[in-house]
Amino acid sequence: MSGFPLRRPRSGASSRRLRTAVPAVLAALSLSVLAACSSDSSSDAVPGGKPAGEDVAKKAEGAPDAAILPGSTMAKIKERGYLIVGGSQDAPLWSQLNPISGKTDGFDAEMGRLLAKYIIGKPEVKIVSSATETREALLQNGTVDVVFQTYTITPKRAEQVAFAGPYYSSGQAILTKKGASGIKTPADLNGKTVIAGANTPAIAAIKQVAPDAKVVTFGSDPECVTALRQGRGDAYVQDQALLVADVKQNPDTTVVGEPFTSDPYGIGLKKDDAAFKTFVNDWLRKIGQDGSWQTVWKQTLGTVVEGNPPTPPAIGGVPGS
Amino acid sequence: MDVVLRHLSAFTDGIVTTLELTALSFLGALLIGVVVAAMRVSPVAALRGVGTVYVETFQNTPLLVLLVLFVFGLPEVGVIFPLFTTAVIVIALYEAAYIAEAVRSGINTVSIGQAEAARALGLTFGQSLRLVILPQALRGVVQPIGNIFIALTMNTSLAAAVGVVELTSAANRVNLMEAQPIPVFVGAGIGYMLICATAGIVTGMIERKVAIVR
Repeated sequence: MSGFPLRRPRSGASSRRLRTAVPAVLAALSLSVLAACSSDSSSDAVPGGKPAGEDVAKKAEGAPDAAILPGSTMAKIKERGYLIVGGSQDAPLWSQLNPISGKTDGFDAEMGRLLAKYIIGKPEVKIVSSATETREALLQNGTVDVVFQTYTITPKRAEQVAFAGPYYSSGQAILTKKGASGIKTPADLNGKTVIAGANTPAIAAIKQVAPDAKVVTFGSDPECVTALRQGRGDAYVQDQALLVADVKQNPDTTVVGEPFTSDPYGIGLKKDDAAFKTFVNDWLRKIGQDGSWQTVWKQTLGTVVEGNPPTPPAIGGVPGS
Repeated sequence: MDVVLRHLSAFTDGIVTTLELTALSFLGALLIGVVVAAMRVSPVAALRGVGTVYVETFQNTPLLVLLVLFVFGLPEVGVIFPLFTTAVIVIALYEAAYIAEAVRSGINTVSIGQAEAARALGLTFGQSLRLVILPQALRGVVQPIGNIFIALTMNTSLAAAVGVVELTSAANRVNLMEAQPIPVFVGAGIGYMLICATAGIVTGMIERKVAIVR
């Protein structure tokens, strides 16, 4: 403040007071603005925050001792005492941190705990937030044991990592504002601005059904829905289960038609660990037969998707798995 | 690295958008920054106050927060700009705070005698700032402003979070298909390095040309 003599020097005390007061006022202001903004966009009650259901992982059985081969990945995980899962904390219905219970709820999160219980005997997991950009790298360098993150199996990805499963078969669907006419089928997206989650299979799916669509991407599902409601795009393409949850929170939106793709979700594993892949696939078959898979579905995706649990997909039934 | 070569057009488009974003927002930041610096040294208390509030606001808020606020907050009050425009405005406003501080430090390096002489000649505040002080001040802060340019280039990658398909976003999209994060992001990193290394060289050249030997 001093050093430039074009104006009269001021007393140091008042300038010091200003310097501390201004940031404090601004901080308070920006906090209140942020609070006001977030209250409507983020959720009050996110579906998939499982109510007092039974804890499937607690009741599930562990693997027979013979299945934990000495020196194998399973044995190492068991010795460590917890399973390191690459996953998300912000995917409603799939894997979302519940700030009240401190637990991560959702289909993927529960699957991770079930697998931990099977290997270790207790449902101990550590979730490492693996951004979609880094999943392959985290698996390759051994930072995580498995990835449970709505991880679509593709032949290209299967060149980098191994996939157990598929453990769920999903599909991309279209969300529009209610009353917005003109979009009835995926082909109607041609020439329109379509919103998609950054790093989701939706981008490729849109390019396939509507090559002339302009794709705009945002980081998270709530941002995409907000963008749609604010008119930044004509439609939003995302996994149907997520869209159904979005409609519950935003009654001014609607899902158009049925899913138009089939996305098989796999469990990402380190490549060239055949024993671990066989082990995880055996576990998937087991939970599909004993009803744990169906119970997890009912407690998570089943809270928004109507009807009975679907049949778990056939293990190894898609290219890349 | 053949992943990068196979998707060269996606990377080139991304670099072009990054360059546009960088150039436009840097220009904006330079203009706003000089004005704010002038406000901060002006003899009018109210202008000084506005300048201080401006700098403190934008220096103490993360750029990502500003981007999200402008992209998702403004439409709530009925103002909606295209995403690219919003990103340019926000980055320019944000970086202007840093430019203003750099320019102000440059003003402080101009010797008091210069300002006193200008006043003795009967120049008004505006004239002495425009004709005597600022030209000398700006010549002294080429390097700091070059550094802000480099930081700004890196900061444009945050626009990916709000839907602008610049270099980072383009790399993300390629990686989504190819699932090879390491070569893809090394490729994007080299793109940023080329932009910033060029900026560094140009800054050095300008500085040698305009530096004032005192």
